Amino acid sequence: MDFSPIVLLYLALGCYALGTMAAFASLFTHEKRAQTAGLVIMSAGFIFHTFWIGTICARTGHPPLTNLPETLTFMSWTIFAVILALYIRYRVYAASFFVYPLVLLLLLTAAVVGEPFAQLDPSLRSTLFTSHIFLTTLGVAGLFIGLAFTMLAWMQDRSLKSKTRGRLWEWIPSLNVCKVVSYRALAIGFSIYTIGLLAGVLWSYRTTAVPVEARVKQIGAVVAWILFAALLQTYISGTYRTKRTIFISAGAFVAIIISILGIARV
Amino acid sequence: MPLILVGLNHRTAPVDIRERLSVSDQQLPEVISALRQIPGVEGASVLSTCNRVEAVVSARTEDVIEAIVDWLSRRGAAERASLEQHLYILRYADVVKHLFRVAAGLDSMIVGEPQIGGQVRSAFQIAMELGSLDPLLQQVFEQTMRVAKKVRTDTSIGEHAVSVPYAAVELAKKIFGDLKGLHVLLLGAGEMGELTAEHLHKQDVRQVFVANRSHERAVELAQRFSGQAMQYDKIEQHLAACDIVIASTAAPHYVIEVEHIERALHARRRRNLFLIDLAVPRNIDPAITKLDGAYLYNIDDLQNVADANLEVRQEKAVEAEEIVAREVEAFWKRLISQDAVPTIVELQRRLEEIRASEVEKTLRKMGPISAAQREAIETLTTQMINKILHYPILQLKDVSDEPQERESLRQTIRKIFGLR
Repeated sequence: MDFSPIVLLYLALGCYALGTMAAFASLFTHEKRAQTAGLVIMSAGFIFHTFWIGTICARTGHPPLTNLPETLTFMSWTIFAVILALYIRYRVYAASFFVYPLVLLLLLTAAVVGEPFAQLDPSLRSTLFTSHIFLTTLGVAGLFIGLAFTMLAWMQDRSLKSKTRGRLWEWIPSLNVCKVVSYRALAIGFSIYTIGLLAGVLWSYRTTAVPVEARVKQIGAVVAWILFAALLQTYISGTYRTKRTIFISAGAFVAIIISILGIARV
Repeated sequence: MPLILVGLNHRTAPVDIRERLSVSDQQLPEVISALRQIPGVEGASVLSTCNRVEAVVSARTEDVIEAIVDWLSRRGAAERASLEQHLYILRYADVVKHLFRVAAGLDSMIVGEPQIGGQVRSAFQIAMELGSLDPLLQQVFEQTMRVAKKVRTDTSIGEHAVSVPYAAVELAKKIFGDLKGLHVLLLGAGEMGELTAEHLHKQDVRQVFVANRSHERAVELAQRFSGQAMQYDKIEQHLAACDIVIASTAAPHYVIEVEHIERALHARRRRNLFLIDLAVPRNIDPAITKLDGAYLYNIDDLQNVADANLEVRQEKAVEAEEIVAREVEAFWKRLISQDAVPTIVELQRRLEEIRASEVEKTLRKMGPISAAQREAIETLTTQMINKILHYPILQLKDVSDEPQERESLRQTIRKIFGLR
């Protein structure tokens, strides 16, 4: 019997769906076991996901970054890898309520849009182009993690201010940890994202003599960059305000999503 | 072998009875040795805390109970009849269940309190060092500590602070995570403030600053926390450097105003600041709550946190009781089957001896036979013995019977089959 590699994608999706459900179940039952089960299932999905990315690389001979599904596949993989590392370091359970659905949604979109194993146009085979896609994808993954932890910090702040325990009280790490992880993820993600964008500008200039085209993808990316810069500035300058941070984060998230969805076949 | 527990606790006996029977660590060897001298006692241990005094023994028969109660009444200089009304006497699986519940904190005055686990461990360890634990009590002790750990890990029953000072520490951890390296400012010398500062000091905070109207008192307190005393009128200058501020002065007005904290937060670049106001009338302006990065809790807020935590502990206790029930059942089954093992082994050996000797006699009478024929005879007789033993062994392993019935069955089987 022939083994179709697409099965790996479906297995990863199935595990991510089950893992997300288990995490949400723990939110209502307050059972740590459900949360742990969710993490184990998600990790199993991550293994299938890794093999799926390996398959894409083996079939196309290039990193999985040439079209929307490939980019989403890689981005969701990176996000889960980072969250797994954060779990090991900080035992952060609450991030799963944001990150698991995000990982599932990104990979699901990749599966629905399809188009795997795209052969790269020879004219696009440049180190600059690959760097651009790789770095912006990595940067966005970091920024998403930063946003998730900004959200957790906001929720923890609300609970502490209102003196009531929210549903996530026990799952969220200390306010300090949320802010530190959020700041670090934003700072690292932003730096990588900036270098990625610069690589894109350079590549565009070399191939078309135009640094930036005014298309949805590019506009979304620039707006997101500005908002992330503003967000980072509030941390660095000590002008952090909870409400302001949440508004900027929401705007940055929307801009990133628009930018991602603007990626058509390259 | 009977497992027996005789004791009293905060629910069954008033403090004047408990204190008369309480046993200090220094007295334990003497008390345990006295228990061991009671005829029929095989192993003994004593658990004595401010809320309970319990003697746990394994004995040849239940007759030792009378002697233990007598000994307790003599020790407590109490009339036997008046002491008996405060005592509880537990046997067999009830002892196991009780010990599991006690070590897990389910029988404590404040459910889930963590100290009792250590007290149970220490009591058994002392008994072990004195050589007063027989194999049965040793197994019970080891399993008790395993179950207590499981309950605490699976339910997190002890993780929620139920006193005001601990609630303050818990909240500080929720804000800062690790408290190492933080600076604490204690304003005033109120009792609750001191206690909270002490708990924070135990968490290895970097420095405790103390300010009080009486500088001498501030110096005295600072020495206690290996901290630093400061002039009362200079507290504002230090606010920005402190992460946690505890206010517990007798001042009839706010000592810390919104402007003070606004300036401090600005200087701190909005790093979080935790303010604990334990004074009545309050020392910290409640409008500070509206400032980003400042978290203010007064005495009522902290009491509410402690009360809510107590409710959480009660909920977790239900889950913990289920774990204990499952563990008691499994452990008791294991103990019973272990208890039956010597009789079963002896029974099998006895019947095997009879079978082997009878087969040998028969074969001698029959004369030469082939190896296949000999093997057939061996198999036939072995199978017969196994069939005969099947039901007696099942009965010996049966855990549903009462302990006395099981003992009587064991004795009957031993008598019928002529076991020693």
